Amino acid sequence: MHIPDGILPASVCAAGYVATVPVTWYAIRKINKEGDPRENIPKASLLTAAFFVVSWIHIPIPPASVHLVLNGLLGAVLGYYAFPAILIGLFFQAVMFQHGGLTTLGVNAIIMGVPALLSYYIFRLRNLRSAGGRIKTGIFGFLAGFVAIAVSVGIFVPVLIFFIPSGFDVATERAAVLTLAVAHVPLMFIEGAFTTVVAVFLHRVRPKLLTAA
Amino acid sequence: MKFGFDEYIHLGSPLHRWDPRFKLIGLMALIFSFAFVRDLRMLLAMVLVTAALYVSSRLPVSFMLTRLRYPSFFLLVVILMLPFLSGQTILVSIGPFDVRQEGLLAALLIATRFLSILTIGLVLFGTAPFLTTIKAMRAIGLPAILTDMALLAFRYIFEIGDYLHRMETSMRLRGFRERRYSIHSLGILAWMGGSILVRSYEHSEWVYKAMILRGYGHAAHPRNEFRACPGDMIALGVTLLIAAGFIVGDILIRI
Repeated sequence: MHIPDGILPASVCAAGYVATVPVTWYAIRKINKEGDPRENIPKASLLTAAFFVVSWIHIPIPPASVHLVLNGLLGAVLGYYAFPAILIGLFFQAVMFQHGGLTTLGVNAIIMGVPALLSYYIFRLRNLRSAGGRIKTGIFGFLAGFVAIAVSVGIFVPVLIFFIPSGFDVATERAAVLTLAVAHVPLMFIEGAFTTVVAVFLHRVRPKLLTAA
Repeated sequence: MKFGFDEYIHLGSPLHRWDPRFKLIGLMALIFSFAFVRDLRMLLAMVLVTAALYVSSRLPVSFMLTRLRYPSFFLLVVILMLPFLSGQTILVSIGPFDVRQEGLLAALLIATRFLSILTIGLVLFGTAPFLTTIKAMRAIGLPAILTDMALLAFRYIFEIGDYLHRMETSMRLRGFRERRYSIHSLGILAWMGGSILVRSYEHSEWVYKAMILRGYGHAAHPRNEFRACPGDMIALGVTLLIAAGFIVGDILIRI
């Protein structure tokens, strides 16, 4: 779900960067209000590296395999740090693997980062009336993973189809949007399930890791 | 686990010697000007500038070819699909499929922009240590939270990557077949992911203590880490002029 360089016109790439600035500013402002950032930066950085590595795990969907986006889980675990973490992760992917792009970094950050913040708010609801137990952690973990991918696809597909420099007619555009959206539905369930299992695992083994949410 | 990105930082070309801050600004401007190009007549100039920069960087062609392995899948999809799906003017029919002019030209534009931007990106990040480039980002005003997180995350990616590799090997030795999909195998992979998060979290507590002992958060970041000479500024000026040339050229051609 990474848009590479060369696909989008410069105006859309620039708009992506312009949109990323206030979201980053908002996330950093919230981070600075939460306790001592000196203490949290090493944790957020190592978890950013860990998420980057965990996204290399391939889930077999015969005959191929998919790698996970994990933006929902990032939101659930890192809270407001999720947006800078995604920005850094996307930058590393663009530079190390040429996956995604430098001009599209802003657009990709919005596609993945805004849903991560949304997932953080969703996952936080598990503590709304009482402290979240195992079942509530699982349910809200699933919602966080599922909704993050659904919203990401909801931004990614129209941006890709409507701004690609081609002469698609309206019917082809509609068919492409529908096909791409439907193709991502299994990934939404897989991400939801994966986030559920990891959230329940962390709840049992290291509940402190979920305290950001 | 290494990515070999810092493999050619010792070559000593003019691009290697260029102040990382100026290089970052200049080459990013060039990359964005390439993204601006919409007219096919500008593509030749784009390829020539890209080739000239790559040759001056003295980076070997093999470096670029290995980096193209992953994105070549994307290129293949664009080149194979767009000419058949996009446009009205049929150039040639291959069985039930029609190759259309508009799609073919769009594929050419996307592929050229993509390869040029990717190559300039390789020159930008392949001619200086990656950590120096991140420090240059901080020097030109990127928030400290972002650069500190990037520096630390980069430092530990390889270590955590090795840990994942060891865990996968151990699981395979114990009979785990990752080629089969089942809820059970998804659960096992999720536990593996969770274990990596827990281990990284525990590690971060030690890293934090070690950083505090070394004065993290108290010492100001060094200000004069980079020193620019007039040559750096001239190179930046020339690169910005070329970038502006692409934007103005594309606008003028399309009028």
